[in-house]
This record gives sequence, structure tokens and C-alpha cells, in this order.
Amino acid sequence: MSIKQQILADKNQVVIAIDKNFDFSLHQLFRESYTNCDTPKTNFILDLSRTQYMDSSALGMILLLKDHAEQLGGSVTVSKPSDTVYKILEIAQFHRLVTIEK
Amino acid sequence: MLLVEENIDKELAVKKLALVVDDSKMQCMMLSVLLEEEGYRVVSAHDGACGVAKYIEHQPDLILMDINMPIMNGYEAAKQIKNISRGSLAPLIFITSLDTDKAFIESVDAGGDSILVRPFTPEVFKAKIKSIQRISDLYQQVKNLQQEQQKDEELAELLLNSVIGARNFAQDKIGIVKKAAAIFSGDIQLSEQCPNGDVHVLLGDFTGHGLRSSIGAIPLTSTFRTMTQKGFSLLEIVKQVNDQLYDLLPADLFLAASFVCVSTVHNSVYVFNAGLPDTYIFSGDSQIKHRVSSQHPPLGVIPKLLSRSRLELYSVNDDDRIVMISDGVIEARNTYQEMYGIERFEQVVLQGDFSQNLAILVMQSVNEFCQNTEQEDDISIIDIPCNLFLDEKLPVLSENDSEYEEQIDENSLHIKSLEFENANKENISGDEILFTPPVWKWQLLLSGSRLGSVNPIPIAMTQIQAIEGAGEHWQSLYTILTELFVNALDHGILQLSSKLKNSPEGFVEYFNEREERLAHLTSGHIDIQLSYHLLNNGGRMLIKMKDSGKGFAVLEKFKLNSITLDNKNKLSGRGLELVNQLTETLEYQEHGTLVKASYVWDQDNN
Repeated sequence: MSIKQQILADKNQVVIAIDKNFDFSLHQLFRESYTNCDTPKTNFILDLSRTQYMDSSALGMILLLKDHAEQLGGSVTVSKPSDTVYKILEIAQFHRLVTIEK
Repeated sequence: MLLVEENIDKELAVKKLALVVDDSKMQCMMLSVLLEEEGYRVVSAHDGACGVAKYIEHQPDLILMDINMPIMNGYEAAKQIKNISRGSLAPLIFITSLDTDKAFIESVDAGGDSILVRPFTPEVFKAKIKSIQRISDLYQQVKNLQQEQQKDEELAELLLNSVIGARNFAQDKIGIVKKAAAIFSGDIQLSEQCPNGDVHVLLGDFTGHGLRSSIGAIPLTSTFRTMTQKGFSLLEIVKQVNDQLYDLLPADLFLAASFVCVSTVHNSVYVFNAGLPDTYIFSGDSQIKHRVSSQHPPLGVIPKLLSRSRLELYSVNDDDRIVMISDGVIEARNTYQEMYGIERFEQVVLQGDFSQNLAILVMQSVNEFCQNTEQEDDISIIDIPCNLFLDEKLPVLSENDSEYEEQIDENSLHIKSLEFENANKENISGDEILFTPPVWKWQLLLSGSRLGSVNPIPIAMTQIQAIEGAGEHWQSLYTILTELFVNALDHGILQLSSKLKNSPEGFVEYFNEREERLAHLTSGHIDIQLSYHLLNNGGRMLIKMKDSGKGFAVLEKFKLNSITLDNKNKLSGRGLELVNQLTETLEYQEHGTLVKASYVWDQDNN
């Protein structure tokens, strides 16, 4: 499994960690990793510390997650992207849309 | 049509054909009976070679193959059949008494889809046939779907190329190279000319590939072309594209794009980069002049453009080149999984021959790097030479003076009326024209913040063309209105001094200052009035534009404009000179706060 999901109920946090490649092939898995989380005000932490590569469809998936989080009144934090991945987020100016913690 | 096809499918499904290859006639007969009970027609052969021949002749849906046979054994026959039937889905089952690992492995190597070891009961045999047929049916479905999808994609590609690509402006000068990963590319390249001659170029990259990524392409193209043709500014087009794609596309589909406007005036280039890799400006002597980084999320992500969004302005020389690339260039990989990367791209261009098409140069380099690895992403490169307009310069009036220093002359501020030579061409003064009743009038008064955010000229042009129909002759009117409006806004309302525009750096400063003042504009107004009068062979448009500013030194400015035309290094003011050439009459009144102009078009001369 290249996606791991961990629910920290006490903190109202859901951590979604992506291994290696974050691309279109994860579309279905990625959706499943958050659609069942419907606790209001959940903060979704997208852990990219082990992600080596990410493509533009991954950006799209982050936007879907953001939509989902906002419907719950929650938020999305992108955590620890590598330099390569951060570059992609930066080109897309995603720091204007979600919190990115380096 | 569909119904008929389905019926044929059903009939064929009922009458599936099996080929049984076995040297024992007994075995053949037994298998045939069982197969017929399952609804198959059966053809049989008694050695491998004969089996291959029958396969070619009958093209069966299922093959049962013995292993040990005279003339040609089952493995060899299976290999030949699989070789011939490349792409066909007829499953091949080996029937054997050899219950060994070796037999199993060899049958798979020979291309067998399954193996059935004797002895087996009729029930086991039938179950085996059913299961293998189920898989084969799935294969067939996938293949049908694939073919349908491919047909759709081919059609869409055809549409995209003929409708979108073929209509691009200046295709002989702007180098465009694209290489799609799937048949249908998520990348899009557009170029179109504005009424004033400026050229807009777009390189866009929709999320993903294939048909899904191209849904947005047609509305994007139509918005980009229509708005450019109507004279909307680049930023207005970007805004509209963003809003439209946001409404139209699902959340995970969006457009990373870089927009470039190559302006005929002032040797300037405007860039807006939303989500693409840096757009480059290279100088003719192979230096990187600017890297224009993405400053905005891709379009279609947020409902409105970020409030402080603005175009970046750069001054360029004729031999400069603007190069736009999609991320497919940087992320192209070779067999060692290395990325092509930005350094290689820069090196190739910097070492390249600038008389060549740089886009092709880069593409060749990417191809060499990747060799035969499968392409994962669309690759697009656009190379825009900044001398796009060298062949079609605006007409220049002969002038004597060569020195120019703008000085606000107190006297010139009080000049009441200014008539130019050609105002008397037909012995008609501004007031006389008004005696013939107009067939229609149109007026728009913009004030305060709306002055800073709305460009009234495309609105006016839309009105004019809605009433009078489209036509080439309105292009001149567009230029006239734009120049007069920009003058009223820049010098009347914003009080900008065109002195700044004397150097390339100054022009950038001028532009920045203008943006700044526009953003904070809260007072002032400009009133635009148009009235249209029919002539025997065309029409006359009377234009009145009044601004609430303090006025500016019209006479001085105008004289100077004529001068600057001759001197290529002077960047300021071809505007009014151009208007003077295009109009029948042109008058500035009330300290330059009121301008009256008339424009005549004649069917015979237009």
C-alpha cells in the first residue's frame, strides 16, 4: 500500500501519508483515504515526507481533499514535502491555497 | 444500427467455434461432444501442423491442444498460433497426461493460457472451459472499449488540430512544438492577434492526459480568441478564463498556463504565469534576461483571480526570444529514470543557434536524452521571436525635429482648441457634422474604482458591431478609441508623465506606477460618447471623450509625438500620431480634458 491513513481522534486529525510516487494511479486509494472521515473540523495532514515525485493530477487530488475538508469546516496541511515536491507545489502556488509545513 | 450489431454479437456468442488438436481420434471425439454440449461448434485436427492450418482457416474462439503429437508437437503449434494471432484473444488450453512442473512451465512459455491434466471428469472440463471463456470475454470487452476510446481520441485530436491549432496566428514565425503522451494532448498552444496588432500567445497544460484533460480546451480556445480579437487586455482574458474554467471543470481539473502579450508598441512584452515552469526571455546574444516564475495558482482552481494579480512587463529587443515550456520538458525521463531538468534546457538554448527554431532544438535535445523511454507527460515548447512585427511597421510621417524634451509649457495648457491640417480636408468642422442627425448614439460614463477595473473599449466595440455588423474598418476605430481612452486615463486621470517612457527601464516604471495608481483609484470619471451618422457609401463616427482630470499639455505632447516617431530609441507616444492619421478630424479642447474626433469609413476605400 502506498497510502497510509492514521486517525488521531483526540486531536481531530487525520494523517494521510503517501509513499514514493503521488500520481494518477493513486486516485482511487487517495479518495478512499478521506471520504469516510466526516468528523466536523477535521484537520487533514498530508504527509509527503516519503513522497519522491508528484504530478499535476496529484495537485488535483489535493484540491479534492481540500474541498472535502472545507465542507467539514476543517483544513488541509501539507507536511514535509521534499525539495522536488515542494518545487512542484511552488510552481502551482499552492501555498496560497493550503498550509505547507516544510 | 447498434441493435443490429448486438444481435450479430449474440448469434456469434451462441455459435462459438472451438479447435481441438489431438492425434488420438478418440480424444478428439470425446472433447468435441463435451464442447458441443457447452454450445460450441467444433473443428478438429490430428497433428500440430494441421492444427495451425485449421487455425488460420477458421479463426476459432478457443483452442484445445494436445502436447505429444506427430509432425509438430503441441508446444510448437501453440507458439506458431500465438505468433500468427497476435492481438487475438482466443484462449489456448493444453490437454495433457504429463502432470509435471516442467510440462506446466513449458506450456505457459509456449503461450498456453491454461493447462488441464488428464484424467478429468466432464464436469471439471466444462468448468475449465467456462472459466477460461469468462476471462476471454473480459479481454474482448476491454479491447472493444479501448478501440472505442481510441476512435474518440482520434476524432478529438482531429478537431483540436483543425479547429484550435490551425487557426493560430503567425504560425510561420512562432515556433510551436508539441508531443502528446496519450493521443489527445492535455497541452494547448494558442496565438491570436489583437485589433491593435499586439499578439497574444498561450501555453496551457490541463491536468492529466487524454480526453478527460481536454474538456476545457474548446471553451478556453474560444474565450482566448474571441476576447483577444475584441481587444480585451491580457489580464482581462486571464480573469475570464479562470472564472470560466472554475465554473466548468471539476475540482481536480485545472489549467496551468503562461500567457504572453507581445506588444507592437514600446518593444514590450507582458507575461502572466499561472502554474507553468518559468517562462524565459533570452537575449539575442544568448543570455538569460528574465525568468518569469509562476505567480498564481493554475486557472480554474479558485473562483476569482487573486486580487493583487498583475501582468509582468519586460522591455525587449528585436532579437530577443521568449521561450515557454510545459513541465513535460523538465520531467521527461531517460532509461535511468533521470529527469531532463531545467539546466539541460537552459544549456541547449544558450548554446543554440538563434537563427533556428529554438522549440525544435529543445525538442531534439529532449528526444536524444530520453532515447526510447515511454513518454509520461505531454511536452510543449513555444519559441516567440520578438521581431514578430518587423515586416509590418506602422506608417511613419516625415519629421524634421530630432530632439525631444518634454516640458510642461504653461501656455500650452490654456490652448482652447487645436485643429489639425486634415481637419479641413472636407471643409467640415466638428460642429457642422453634428447637424446631420445620428442614426444612433451610445454613451458610457465610468467613474471611481470602475475606471481602474473596466476597459470600456471592447464594450463599445461590441455595441458598434452589434448594431452595424462586423468589419475590417472597425479595427481603426478600435485603435482610435483605445488611444484616446488611454490618454485620458493615463495623463488626465492618473496624471502620469509620459516623460518616464523615454527609456525601456522607464517604461517598466511607468507601467508599474500606472498599475499602482489604478489599483487605488477612487475618484474621477471618463465620459465616452459615440454617435453614428450614415454617409452615402459608409458612415461617420463622432467620438467625444471627456475626463475629469486637470488636463495636460496637448499641443506640446502632440508635437513631440510626431518627433519621436523617427527616432527608434524614443519609446513614447506613437499613439496620438497614429490617431491623427486614422481620423478625419481630431480636436483637443478644455485643456486637453475633452477630445473630439471623427472617423469616416468608405465602402470603396475600406
